Amino acid sequence: MSEKIINITKGLVRAEFNFWVGLYMDKFYDGLEQKKIVANKCPKCGDVFVPPRKICGKCNETIALDQNWVNLTDTGTLTNYTITPYKINERGSRKVKKDQIIGMVQIDGSNTTIVYKLLKIEPAEIKTGMKVKIEWQEKTKGAPEDIKGFVKV
Amino acid sequence: MEKVGIVGYYQVKLASDANYGRYEMIFEAVRGAIDHAGLKKKDITTVISATNDYYDGRTISNCFTVEVGGGYMADESKVEMDGAHAMLYGLMRILSGNHKLAVIWAGSMPSCFPYHSARLYETDPTWERPSALVTDISAGGFQMRAYMEKYGVSAEDIAKVVVKNKKNAAKNSLALPEAQMADITLSDVLNSEIFADPVTELMYAQPCDGVAALLLAPEHHALKITDKPVWITGVGWNQDPYYLGDRDLSRNKSMELAGKMAYDAASIKDPANEIDVAELSEAFAHEELIFAEALGLAEAGKASTLNSGIDGDIAINPSGGALGGNPPCATGLIRIIEAVKQLQGEANGYQVKNVKKAIASGQIGMCAQNNILYVLEGGGN
Repeated sequence: MSEKIINITKGLVRAEFNFWVGLYMDKFYDGLEQKKIVANKCPKCGDVFVPPRKICGKCNETIALDQNWVNLTDTGTLTNYTITPYKINERGSRKVKKDQIIGMVQIDGSNTTIVYKLLKIEPAEIKTGMKVKIEWQEKTKGAPEDIKGFVKV
Repeated sequence: MEKVGIVGYYQVKLASDANYGRYEMIFEAVRGAIDHAGLKKKDITTVISATNDYYDGRTISNCFTVEVGGGYMADESKVEMDGAHAMLYGLMRILSGNHKLAVIWAGSMPSCFPYHSARLYETDPTWERPSALVTDISAGGFQMRAYMEKYGVSAEDIAKVVVKNKKNAAKNSLALPEAQMADITLSDVLNSEIFADPVTELMYAQPCDGVAALLLAPEHHALKITDKPVWITGVGWNQDPYYLGDRDLSRNKSMELAGKMAYDAASIKDPANEIDVAELSEAFAHEELIFAEALGLAEAGKASTLNSGIDGDIAINPSGGALGGNPPCATGLIRIIEAVKQLQGEANGYQVKNVKKAIASGQIGMCAQNNILYVLEGGGN
């Protein structure tokens, strides 16, 4: 048998990054804190984005910050889903006992989908095309996790 | 386009844990390609590599591969994508008229780092990354379900791709040993553990350790090095939007556009009839079908009905494809090398008969966000 020498090196410096979310996402997160979905609309093609964005990639146009905002409901359609035992974080991946059920949801009135957990549902009940709504955290803080997940309507 | 030839290559044997220094592995591949072509270090005029800083555990990671990658005191640069993209950069260096020999090398060793965590760093740090629900694992599940539901394709249809590729890999001595499965059955694939429903573990191209290298030369120089160079007659590349939620995952639009660009360059009008071999970088079994459709080898939703075995109407991944071993950053470059072997009649054990035109692809990103496709001809076969 060959001898195996493994050196595990941990970072000697902390090089963590402070990302600036930008004015558009700032407005979106302020909306989440109030349990509201704030989207924006490309003035050229009319696509409605959740989360909102500064540039429409398709049109290569800036969506002005002071207009084009659209308030949407917290309901949507499940367009896709997967069920996986894998949980990943920044240090590694592991298998968990309770599978994660993850859905892609198109919020009503938008042209994009967002990815969140599906809650209070059995795999056999899930169907793409079903109507779902947001389950909000009781206490919101203006962050992605204010949306706990989606439940069936 | 001036003719640029592929004049040499080398791939190390793939391993789930090579237990082998990455410097030596890179040297084995690069030196192997040079030796194979009967050349020397001094013949190299430019070196382009493809690795990933996160996979290498250091920034500007090509700084530590200068000596082993043939870049010692040489013109050298790196692409943070697949080796197939590094080859595009190398091709451009040759076409600049300033270079006689480009070394392209690519690879990584996922046995040394948490691969899925590194992939998590592809996601938006302020939106999707904190919840870690968009990952290379869940993305594969979404993509397979989108494809199945759009066209009514069954899990069995997709499992057939796995059976074909793992059986092909059993004939390829350089494939990942764990992926060489001569006796695999459909039920093995369908009953393997769930990876990200509907994807099962065997439908996923397991990341593994590996490095590959390839040599490019301009026409007049290529013909001095070998009497059977393989010519790059077309290349196309393209990319899809960043967010998964902005895309139609049932198809791959960037591959469609990459294919069109490459086919136009190579004057290919009827890919299904003109192309003899396709080596496609499928991170999941279903991607082989999505790509075959994007590249005009089958109608939308019909790729599972293709006779794509080694002796079939069009051989797809006769080497076993990425399902036969998926060394991050090297996978696409290996597809190109496998297409070269087919054109030169050197695919021992899995040679397709009478190969005149081959295509090979590389990809990066979730659900193959970015794709590059080459059309290759020549090889003296």
